Amino acid sequence: MPSDLSSLVHWILFLPLGAAVLSALFLRRAGGLAAWLSTGTAFVIAGLSLLLLGKGVDVSWHVELAKFGDVSLGFGYLIDANARLMLFVVSFVAAWIHLFSVGYMKEDSARGRFFAGLSIFMFSILGIVVADNLLMTFIYWELVGFSSYMLIAHYFDKDYAAAASKKAFIVNRVGDLGFILGIAMCLSLYGTLDFVALKDHAAAAKTIPVAVGALLMCGFLGKSAQFPLHVWLTDAMAGPTPVSALIHAATMVAAGVYFMARVSFLLAPDVLNLIAISGAGMAALAGLCALAQTDIKKSLAYSTLAHLGIMGCAIGLGHPELALMHMAMHAFFKATLFLGAGSVIHGCHHEQDMLKMGGLLKKMPLTAATFIAATLSNCAVPFLAGWYSKDAIIEAAYHGHHFVIFAFLSLAALATCLYSGRMIRLVFLGEANSEEASHAHESPWTMTLPLVVLGLVYSVAGGFLASTLMPAGSLQPIKPALDAIVFHLTAPSTIVGLFSLVVGFFGALKFYGTVRGADALQVVSPRTYHLLEHRWMDGLYRWYVDAVQRRLAEFVAFLDLLIINGVAVRWIGGGVPAVLGYLTGRSFHRGQTRAYALWIVVGTLFLAWFLIAR
Amino acid sequence: MENTSLAHHLLLAGLLFVLGLTGVLIRRNLLVVYMCLELMLAAATLALVAFSRFNRTMDGAVLVFFVITVAAAEVAVGLALIVALFRKRGTVQSDALTTLRD
Repeated sequence: MPSDLSSLVHWILFLPLGAAVLSALFLRRAGGLAAWLSTGTAFVIAGLSLLLLGKGVDVSWHVELAKFGDVSLGFGYLIDANARLMLFVVSFVAAWIHLFSVGYMKEDSARGRFFAGLSIFMFSILGIVVADNLLMTFIYWELVGFSSYMLIAHYFDKDYAAAASKKAFIVNRVGDLGFILGIAMCLSLYGTLDFVALKDHAAAAKTIPVAVGALLMCGFLGKSAQFPLHVWLTDAMAGPTPVSALIHAATMVAAGVYFMARVSFLLAPDVLNLIAISGAGMAALAGLCALAQTDIKKSLAYSTLAHLGIMGCAIGLGHPELALMHMAMHAFFKATLFLGAGSVIHGCHHEQDMLKMGGLLKKMPLTAATFIAATLSNCAVPFLAGWYSKDAIIEAAYHGHHFVIFAFLSLAALATCLYSGRMIRLVFLGEANSEEASHAHESPWTMTLPLVVLGLVYSVAGGFLASTLMPAGSLQPIKPALDAIVFHLTAPSTIVGLFSLVVGFFGALKFYGTVRGADALQVVSPRTYHLLEHRWMDGLYRWYVDAVQRRLAEFVAFLDLLIINGVAVRWIGGGVPAVLGYLTGRSFHRGQTRAYALWIVVGTLFLAWFLIAR
Repeated sequence: MENTSLAHHLLLAGLLFVLGLTGVLIRRNLLVVYMCLELMLAAATLALVAFSRFNRTMDGAVLVFFVITVAAAEVAVGLALIVALFRKRGTVQSDALTTLRD
């Protein structure tokens, strides 16, 4: 095992931590310097990850930190093909998003804090990717949650941003409770938290308890915004757009998928079925809900939810490699979409309402071209990046005879084409619908260059990536899954895909052109539109908190008042001295230090007698 | 040293302890009470060293170093409290300090 590779991983992991500490401690006032420090670091990491991907060698390195009996806790790296892919995707997308942020955040007064946040996020997510045991994963998992919280609340003086960051944090804690219980269960069942050792145990055991997988799945539900813990993701769009692109579309939410792929040997069949069906259901639901959002970022957030559902579904179907491949493709085109949205918002002077945009194709040609290319990839147009992974998953559902899942995924594919067509029509085609949109301007090069690189090169050349890079050795585990699924023109997934594309995409383009300055669906059928606005899930949680949880909390508080505060503290703790004082006529309370000292001596002698006589 | 036994040491430590305790109980000047408290601590320390010496282990002796170090810090705090008390109330007679009862 060459030791220079583990030192390479040291550099990848700790460079961003160094950048974050430097920015947070010394560069709070020097935002420009912090921005370039953070961006430079991100590009160095991207280069190192590419080097690691090119070498295609597994790395394992471990140092023991503590030992309790037979249980050893440590810090270490386990770099396999999946980890190399994830490292590359995360660092590469992140590097370009950093560059984009330099332009996007130029006028922000708290740039030092923002870029320190981005760097600490990089440190945390890379930690999850390289971790070789559950405890280390969990620690970095929480760090990721913290940095996400911090970056959503970047505009903390706005109420909605503060509320959204709190919501994201709390919802994630709900999932993490299950996660840490799952870790505890692994420890008690197998006596180790190490992935390799756990895999050996799982292979040796005939069946894996359902609870282990179900509890570990809870962490995935929270972090990857799976049903029913998906409610935080759309609100998280309150953060700056680069944050939405990096954390809440491309990388952090994919960390849950990556983690599930890493511990897939611990998932019992029942758990897999649950993940598959809920993932497919959420994909369809979120795809449709994207139709009823007027905020461009929220609409994209629902699109992300749909794709996360598809990834979850792929894991549930037993194809974690396909999930990771879709994660990689999705990271590229969804980052492009969000950055494109950021460029549009920047160009339209911070207008986010799609109904007020329009006709931006002529005013922002570069942004429009990359956005449309990424959208087509999102719609799984044949030979674009999204097609390879998404159709493969739909095909896998069909081949596995999961027809309900197949139906849901087909619906999701149709919905994807519908909202994509709607977005293109409302934002880029037609006439400008507001003062801001008519004065839109193209963004500076720091913002368009990432768009061009991520969008044109990787959305379009994703197929090249999928077909040539993967069999070349570095992404070997994916190939058998690809070979197992037959691509041909009469394959059900191809038929579904092409049908959705023609009917959905072009139908939406035409349909949303009929009404100007308003949403066509809202005009035609207000009731459907309202249903798809997806307020009822938040309503459900509100009802649960108000009617169930608060009642329970009040009951527990009452018990606390009655038993602990009342009986234990007031009656016993306060009552005994009061009664004694009453009986002895306060002869204890002389207020004389010497008297108290005497009582201490008497009490000590009594205790000594008691202990000796026993 | 040859004709002393553990019992002798413990007897001396016990006498010192009782001496200190008596002082704490009957004296009124807080400064003297405090010195008596220290005497009690010293008695306990002496017993510890004696046990250490006669059991031929160094554990107790090492512990005594820590006790002495901590006691030094504690004396500083205690004396500072008494000085502060004197500045505030003009007396360190324990009989005069009965505000909590009144």
